[in-house]
Amino acid sequence: MRRYFGRKLLIYLVTFFLAVTIDWMIPRFMPGNPVQNMLARASVRPEAAEAMYGYYTKAFGLDVPVWKQYLNFWVALFHGDLGTSVYLFPQPVSKVLRESIPYDIFLLLPAILLSWWAGNKFGAFAARTKRLDNTLLPIGYILTATPYMWLGILLAWAFGVVFDIFPIAGAYSFSMQPHWSWAFVWDVLKHWFLPFASLFLVGFGGWAIGMRNMIIYELEADYSHYMEALGAPRKLVRKYAFRNAILPQVTGLALQLGVIVAGALVTEVVFSYPGIGYLLLAAIQNQDYFLIQGCFLFIITGVLLANFLIDIVYVIVDPRIRRGMVGE
Amino acid sequence: MWSRSKRFVSVLVIALLAFGALAVGQVYDRNETLYVSGAAWGPPNDWNPFITWSKANTTGTIGYLYETLFMYDPLNDEFIPFLAESGEWVSDTAYEITIRDGVMWTDGTPLTAEDVAFTMNLGKDYAALWFAPMWNYVINVVAVGDVVRFDFTEEPLYQEFDNNLYNIPIVPKHIWDSKSEADITGGANENPIGSGAYMYETHSSDRNVWLRNDNWWGNDVFGVPAPKRIVDARFSSNSVALGSVIKGDVDLSNNFLPGIATLAEKGYVKTYFEGAPFMQAANTAVLFLNTTKKPMDDAAFRRALAYAINVDDIVRVAYANLVSAASPTGLLPSLAKYDDQAVIDELGWTYDPTEAARILADAGYVDVDGDGYVEAPDGSAIALEVTCPFGWTDWMESIAVISDSAKAVGINIEDVTPDYGSWNTALTNQTFDMTLNNWANMSNTPWTLYNLLFNHPIKEIMGSGNFGAYDNQELFDLVDALAAVPTTDLAGMQAVCSDIQRIMLSEVPMIPLWYNGLWAQYSDSVWTNWPVDGSNDPARLPTTWSGYWQLGGLLTLIELELANP
Amino acid sequence: MTPTTKNAKKKRNEFVYFALRNTKLKVGAVVVITFLIVAMLGTLFTEFEPREYVGPMSEAPSSEYWFGTTFFGQDVFTQFVVGLRATFMVGAIGGGLATLIGMLIGFVAGYRGGAVDESLNVVTNIVLVVPSFAILIIIAAYLEVRGLMMESIFIGLTAWPWTARAIRAQTLSLKSREFVDMARISGMKPMRIIFTEIAPNMMSYLVMAFILQFGGSILIAATLDFIGLGPTTGISLGLMMQNAVNWGALQLGLWWWFIPPGAAIAAIVGALYIMNVGLDEVFNPKLREM
Repeated sequence: MRRYFGRKLLIYLVTFFLAVTIDWMIPRFMPGNPVQNMLARASVRPEAAEAMYGYYTKAFGLDVPVWKQYLNFWVALFHGDLGTSVYLFPQPVSKVLRESIPYDIFLLLPAILLSWWAGNKFGAFAARTKRLDNTLLPIGYILTATPYMWLGILLAWAFGVVFDIFPIAGAYSFSMQPHWSWAFVWDVLKHWFLPFASLFLVGFGGWAIGMRNMIIYELEADYSHYMEALGAPRKLVRKYAFRNAILPQVTGLALQLGVIVAGALVTEVVFSYPGIGYLLLAAIQNQDYFLIQGCFLFIITGVLLANFLIDIVYVIVDPRIRRGMVGE
Repeated sequence: MWSRSKRFVSVLVIALLAFGALAVGQVYDRNETLYVSGAAWGPPNDWNPFITWSKANTTGTIGYLYETLFMYDPLNDEFIPFLAESGEWVSDTAYEITIRDGVMWTDGTPLTAEDVAFTMNLGKDYAALWFAPMWNYVINVVAVGDVVRFDFTEEPLYQEFDNNLYNIPIVPKHIWDSKSEADITGGANENPIGSGAYMYETHSSDRNVWLRNDNWWGNDVFGVPAPKRIVDARFSSNSVALGSVIKGDVDLSNNFLPGIATLAEKGYVKTYFEGAPFMQAANTAVLFLNTTKKPMDDAAFRRALAYAINVDDIVRVAYANLVSAASPTGLLPSLAKYDDQAVIDELGWTYDPTEAARILADAGYVDVDGDGYVEAPDGSAIALEVTCPFGWTDWMESIAVISDSAKAVGINIEDVTPDYGSWNTALTNQTFDMTLNNWANMSNTPWTLYNLLFNHPIKEIMGSGNFGAYDNQELFDLVDALAAVPTTDLAGMQAVCSDIQRIMLSEVPMIPLWYNGLWAQYSDSVWTNWPVDGSNDPARLPTTWSGYWQLGGLLTLIELELANP
Repeated sequence: MTPTTKNAKKKRNEFVYFALRNTKLKVGAVVVITFLIVAMLGTLFTEFEPREYVGPMSEAPSSEYWFGTTFFGQDVFTQFVVGLRATFMVGAIGGGLATLIGMLIGFVAGYRGGAVDESLNVVTNIVLVVPSFAILIIIAAYLEVRGLMMESIFIGLTAWPWTARAIRAQTLSLKSREFVDMARISGMKPMRIIFTEIAPNMMSYLVMAFILQFGGSILIAATLDFIGLGPTTGISLGLMMQNAVNWGALQLGLWWWFIPPGAAIAAIVGALYIMNVGLDEVFNPKLREM
């Protein structure tokens, strides 16, 4: 088990190192000069523009050799300093991120966990139950094949425009200041619901289908037939099947994280939900080196951490690893 | 056991009651609040009036919070004393401003001539401030009692100076003189102290909230602004803004919104004009031609292109009639008195594909290889690109029209939409063929536009205008001469403008296409008495754009009335 | 004729028999092929260009404009069929490339084992764990002018890891089979063994992997297009949705503008997935419905 975690940890560390390096590298070699772009909009006299250009290049630390910029990047990283945003100048990137991260957690955590839980339950329930299976299968496949933004658009159009029940933009009403009251909590939930629902539904379809297929594999496995032959009640057989089927679903969750993050990004764009995805897009459109790096770093770290957590869960769920019977 | 759960229940009830009680005062009363949007896309990030490129992100920093010495009424071409009570040229090289009495900063300190002199001198100390170049012709600025005196060299740039008078925001000396250079030129200036009609209240990533300053000096002079609170909403996209305006959730929207013409005709929203173009003109969209590349270095080719572009189609299709075609001189209607009509009649152009084809043929541009497109006189093929940033949807449609109409006369131009960053780099480094730009605001002087179009000297990076690097010393001298004409000398200005226009219209260094609108659509459901055509005394502009408060935007707020008091 | 190929032939006949009887496979295939035909022949039914301004603005579907017109008066149907083509291209190229890379890495890692396997495994795990979409966004932003081909290739380059993993596991189990041992003893080169002995025996697996990658690539491309990081020229279904949203199609009620592109993607990808289940049942007798 120690070997298992050791290997995993090593891979995560190497990944983190590479990711941070890419993170530092790619935006720096992007076409365009962020300081110049920033000043171009200022539309000032050339003399002033030159003075400003020099001043801000220095302020952003772009005037030192590239290798030194790289070292500085790591040093600053460990001090929690992610630089200053160009697009949101003069706000520090870490502060901008801090304001967005709660929204992501609030949106993603329930969407991922609930869709996984409900999808598995429902998929297991529907498998080999003829009538349910026949309806679940097409619906599940359509849901999981639906582009996140399209489902978001449909929900926004139906519930936001046609029926006008839910707001379709922002995290809370423009007429409110954040405070503790039922009215405000209700308002926040109303803004949260549609983006949550689009993430939840797409995920739900995928997990339900996955579970349904897994259960059928297990029910057709030799051990199930053997148990049935021995006269074990169907319920018990299904219980064992579920236990075995849940393992690949846990791994599947880790594999799907990247896709879910991408889905969250466009969902936030559709609903103008002020999370990281929304921020990342603005950062790219404005060529904001430091903000792109910050968002990317947050996404990478988040996905790595989630993967690690899932590994731990896997160990708890899978008895073979727990007893140290397999290396990987 | 019993009592424990009882106690629990009672604590819960009290908590719930407290929870409910907290709600009071943090939900804005609709009848006291004005919801505006469209001035800026990004989150509010600073309240520093000197950060010009991001002040758009916190619209109101200049206007609500910090104030200028004068306001300028572009429709009546008139300066209105603001923080200044009066200002006059006491000689050709000295200007004196008397500061209004009884103006207070919101921390209770009086605003004096000292504050004004301090602000002006910041430009002398810090070259990174946008108005620092003023010090090329200003010798010193001092406060004497309630008077601020400017002393100039022999050659003051009157045009620019006048423009500065209503654009430089006055900051409090007692707070700003202890700030470092970095803080003054680039600090966020959180919890700002200003002198204006509104105070900063709160913000989040999608809004900036302003609270009325009930002790504002202008209450007695101009009147009390009607809304107690202004919520400046930052929508992520046109569509969200559009929905909010239709529902009446937003009172004033200054986004470019598609479909407004239809909605206005149906009565969902109000606009400045009842019919096309619905909006006032705010700036000129100009097609810059890269004169360092062939064939854009050929005046005949540029002239043919000017005739070839179907501006009517841009107006009708890309904008659904929300804009109007521009004068060939590019000057806004509010500056029309500087247009020399004789020059325009003689040298101006309109959409005329036949004429375009004739000019092309005369200059030797003919289709040699029979592919439907003309080749250059030396026989080389012509394949050009017209660009605008990806995502600027109205412009994307416009360049598609440009491409189509150029192809119709045989000029092979493709429309291409790179990302903003690379577009911007290409723009300033002359690596584009032709591209759209509109970076000159409504102004008191034609010099503002000409400073953009004919920015000089020509350098490797053209960051502030003249992006096509059109090099013509005679023209540059004329623009410099215009800057030095006193703003009171109308005939002198007109004479120089006429000379500039003669060169511009015969050489066609760039092509002014249409007037971008002062996008404004308003809802009457809560607030009424919005500015409409024919009620311009004095000018009230229905806009929240940065740089327009001192052009009459503030007066709009004062004149607003509740629909259902 | 070696026993292996005989075996494979028998298997193939069996496959055709069950494939023709599998409803899921048939339904899925019909949907995908229908869209493919529309994509290929659709332009015959329209005389417009995708971005041409053809007529009235914001008009509902009619006999003249089958899917209505956009806010500017472009024909939605024309955009739709041209966009469909781009969708199939991205699926084929992106999905194909991802399957190919996954296959190569999976085979080599599984067959070679040892240090090669270890190092390939680390690479696979890294690419697997880094959210590829974030990388794609950065790459997309890096390229000033982007084409459809470029987009497909980059999608292929980031989507392969799970295929590699699955194929490695399959290779591992096949490696120790008798016929592979025979080939090895007879002195065959490893690459030949992989392609003549191992690959044909997991054809079903490769086909299914390709189908999944095909659908996945379509979804990724649509997402990129929607946030404006797709091809900067031409039209795609994702771009249609972006335009519709940007131009207030929701608020102005132009549903014909944003429903077809998303519905087509959901239908194609959903049909592919259902085909995949069908194939699984065909290949794996145990899963066939009783």
